[in-house]
Amino acid sequence: MTTDRTHAKRRRALTVTIGIALGIGALITAFPFLWMLTTAFKPQRESVTFPPTILPQAPTLEWFQMLFTELDFGRYLVNTILVVLIGFIGLMFMAMAGYAFAKFDFRGRKWMFFLVLATMMIPIQVTMIPTYLILNGMKLTNTLLGIALPTLVSGFAIFLFRQFMTTIPTEMLEAARLDGAGEFRTFWQIVLPMSKPILAVQIVLTFISGWNSFLWPLIIASDQKLYTLSVGLALLNQQLAVNPSLQMAAASVMVIPILIVFIVFQRYVIQGFALSGLK
Amino acid sequence: MRNRLTPYLFVSPAMLLLITFGIFPILVAAVISTTNMNISAFADWNNVEFIGIDNYTKLFADPDFWQAIGNTGLFAVFGVPAIVILSLGVALLLNHSQSRFFRSLRAFYFIPAITAIVAISLVWGYLYNTQFGLLNYLFSLVGVPQVQWLSDPILAKFSVALVAVWRGTGLNIIIFLAALQGVPKEYLEAASLDGAGEWKKTFSIVIPLMRFAIFFVSVTTTIAWLQFFDEPFVLTDGGPLGATTSASIFLYKEGFRLNQFGYASAGSIVLFAIIAVITLIQLRVRRADDDY
Amino acid sequence: MKRTATSVVAAVAAVGLTISMSACSTTSAAGSGDAEGPLTVWVMGDSGANFEMLVADSGIEVEVVAIPWDSIDEKLTTAVASGSGPDILQIGLSKLRTFADAGALLPLDDEIANHPGIDPANFPAGVSGTATSVGGEIVSVPWTSDTRVLFTRTDILSEAGIDAPPATWDELRADAKTLAARGDDQYGYYIPQWDAPLPIEMTWSMGGEVIDADGNVNFDTPEFQKAVDVYTGLYADGSVPVNGDFDQTQGFISGVAPMLVSGPYLGRGIADSAPELDGKWQASPLPAGDGGSISLFAGSNLGVWFNTDQKETSLDLLEYVSQPEQQLEWYSMTGELPTVSSALEDGDLNSDPNVQVYTDQLKTAKVLPLVSNWDGAVGTELLNALNAIVLTGADTKSSLDGLYSTTAGLTIN
Repeated sequence: MTTDRTHAKRRRALTVTIGIALGIGALITAFPFLWMLTTAFKPQRESVTFPPTILPQAPTLEWFQMLFTELDFGRYLVNTILVVLIGFIGLMFMAMAGYAFAKFDFRGRKWMFFLVLATMMIPIQVTMIPTYLILNGMKLTNTLLGIALPTLVSGFAIFLFRQFMTTIPTEMLEAARLDGAGEFRTFWQIVLPMSKPILAVQIVLTFISGWNSFLWPLIIASDQKLYTLSVGLALLNQQLAVNPSLQMAAASVMVIPILIVFIVFQRYVIQGFALSGLK
Repeated sequence: MRNRLTPYLFVSPAMLLLITFGIFPILVAAVISTTNMNISAFADWNNVEFIGIDNYTKLFADPDFWQAIGNTGLFAVFGVPAIVILSLGVALLLNHSQSRFFRSLRAFYFIPAITAIVAISLVWGYLYNTQFGLLNYLFSLVGVPQVQWLSDPILAKFSVALVAVWRGTGLNIIIFLAALQGVPKEYLEAASLDGAGEWKKTFSIVIPLMRFAIFFVSVTTTIAWLQFFDEPFVLTDGGPLGATTSASIFLYKEGFRLNQFGYASAGSIVLFAIIAVITLIQLRVRRADDDY
Repeated sequence: MKRTATSVVAAVAAVGLTISMSACSTTSAAGSGDAEGPLTVWVMGDSGANFEMLVADSGIEVEVVAIPWDSIDEKLTTAVASGSGPDILQIGLSKLRTFADAGALLPLDDEIANHPGIDPANFPAGVSGTATSVGGEIVSVPWTSDTRVLFTRTDILSEAGIDAPPATWDELRADAKTLAARGDDQYGYYIPQWDAPLPIEMTWSMGGEVIDADGNVNFDTPEFQKAVDVYTGLYADGSVPVNGDFDQTQGFISGVAPMLVSGPYLGRGIADSAPELDGKWQASPLPAGDGGSISLFAGSNLGVWFNTDQKETSLDLLEYVSQPEQQLEWYSMTGELPTVSSALEDGDLNSDPNVQVYTDQLKTAKVLPLVSNWDGAVGTELLNALNAIVLTGADTKSSLDGLYSTTAGLTIN
């Protein structure tokens, strides 16, 4: 009885210690982010003074106003959202491919899957110019589709889909087929609903990569109307005359929406990875 | 009964895209690597000549290339264990309790992973700044003299790697947390009944059960370090004096600053080969491990 | 619940597809080579809106695309590779040769007769005509000028007993040492570690050249050696901060580095962010050596994309922005100096004593040699060699020998 109680007490003490350590770790990890937020509200002079102030002494909203009035951040925001939306088409393609790799036996499956894995190892700097020329040949430069296309599918995601979908019982698919469901209906009504956790993971990952996309919007857009938030942010990086406040305000506009998406989806995300056989 | 075309229909959209934007460009690069192509090729394609393996011989004699490869190796050797151990450790701690407080902490650890590199460069460049940066100010409060975060050739390696570690842990923590959900509770309860402490349970039950997740994270993290580009590119541009020039940065500079497309392509084929070989070795080691 | 998740994804994907299709169809209509449409102009940095304002009254419709400074290389290389670029682009002088070599710029020699506004005679000889032609062809029109002069905090100098800004490099080195002795973390001068033109300006001022009579890059000269002595000497004296991320504007305002060689943009930056320093700083000519005070003619030119389908309109626009009024208006909007001689001589412009210094300096200033990839090849090697000496204590002779051998064979021909 007594040993049980001391045991419970010790466990409680351990939990509290770990909790404190993690709390400190979390603050350190998130610190650059918090610093970014507070700087976004400082007047320019204050953001370059030494010693730095932790909290803004004279908080101002002028930088956020500037982003959306003088600079074109409203438009960049819309473009970024569109790129993310196109990314979701890629998501469907990757789910379909993952399903085929997981549940069908077909000629060429092995080497195709090998190609999928091989693409994970290719450094992007290698493929940039050829990719650009291909898009140009397809007359897709200066379109949102062209911006989204090069990163639409990723080997990593197809691999995760396959890992997850192998755990779907084949009998369920057979049953659906016996009921006369077509292949695509089976995929749509059985496979996808059962893959909700991995879809949640991929939604978040797709959102992140689309949201942060920089290289392709920059190169493909020959029209500033197609720039995304990342490119807009890079435009603020002047050679001289630094204004950290404005830059931090722009960075905040970029980070906060994605943080909200993550907080909403995080439970599903962890489940998704858990069920995809990554253990 | 099934239509034999079905799997191909499912696979083809994604495969077409992967082949067009992944496989085909690397083949193009392989061809270009045997030529002396530079920017004048775009004015007149007759300026391009086939030069065989000259680019490769030149590459292997280029001290800058070896410096870049050496830096990349150094980054990988220290960076991979750092990210894997740190993410695993944090995930284990976060998994210690399922209370609301512990779960709300997860978002904090994920913040770095979701932040755009352009934003990261601004924030960290600002933190590291030696004139009005916060880090040196905090250090000065405890009497540490000015630290040249990005100007000292040795320290700069550390500084850019630190940002990469900071950014690299988030997603891996999530993967490990997920893997931890797959550890059967019964095993742990049985071990507790046998009197095993937390420490012992973690090392003899939990970690062995997470072998696949650890392996998966190690492979993807290794690939990421071998392709290391973003952080040095935005923070130091490969400097000071090439100290943070990774293989990818080297290729980028040869290709886009010097417009030596043939030479850069040769370098990228070599880098691709290195990554492929290292990944295959990792896969082999794991297979051998499984047999055992 | 499961159902909703998938249908959300499906709906979102469908919306994405529709939007991207429509976006793609509208833009391709606009870009289909209709020679009536607006001109596409690539402008560096975030001054795109300013450019639109500048040409608002020209009667020529433009669509300005601002290109981030850090991403010029990717953007231009891919555009050159595909042949599909803008109609007009701003091009830094140091990149001019590279892109002319790639055939990206339309030769303008035959157009000048019909467009007298872009005649090289309207511009200072240092930056127009043969000075910036590539392969014997004029491929660009000067747009903004930029030069390097000495900026000093007169208040701090006089406190340290220095009455006037140093006029020679030797004086500068001595004054910098005096100023650095003010205390810990105080410096006399600032050398940007990325400033590849600085050693060249020093060499010119010492009376030397970095291109020999045959047009080859050659650093193995006594004048360059003198420049290196000043450069490394400033570090050896402890007069210069060694941190690479030192911010020159902030360092000047705080007084940590009260002297530096920089461009007009610095003057503008100080006036904007520290108006209280008004009267406590000044610009003065670049310190002289045996060869006088010879500075850099930097800035950027405008070029016409080689396969534009709106050549005449593009040339009209170049003429329009080459008028003195437009050039002066651009100065008042952005602080970038004009290049047209008549605008540079404008009385109002020169009523500002600092601007007078800039325009005087421009009279003798020279452009960097038009070596292909000057920045990437020569500039980087030069900085690597010098920074290795001053930052890591590398041996001077072997570093310089390395520089001589890596830059051997580079030529302006």
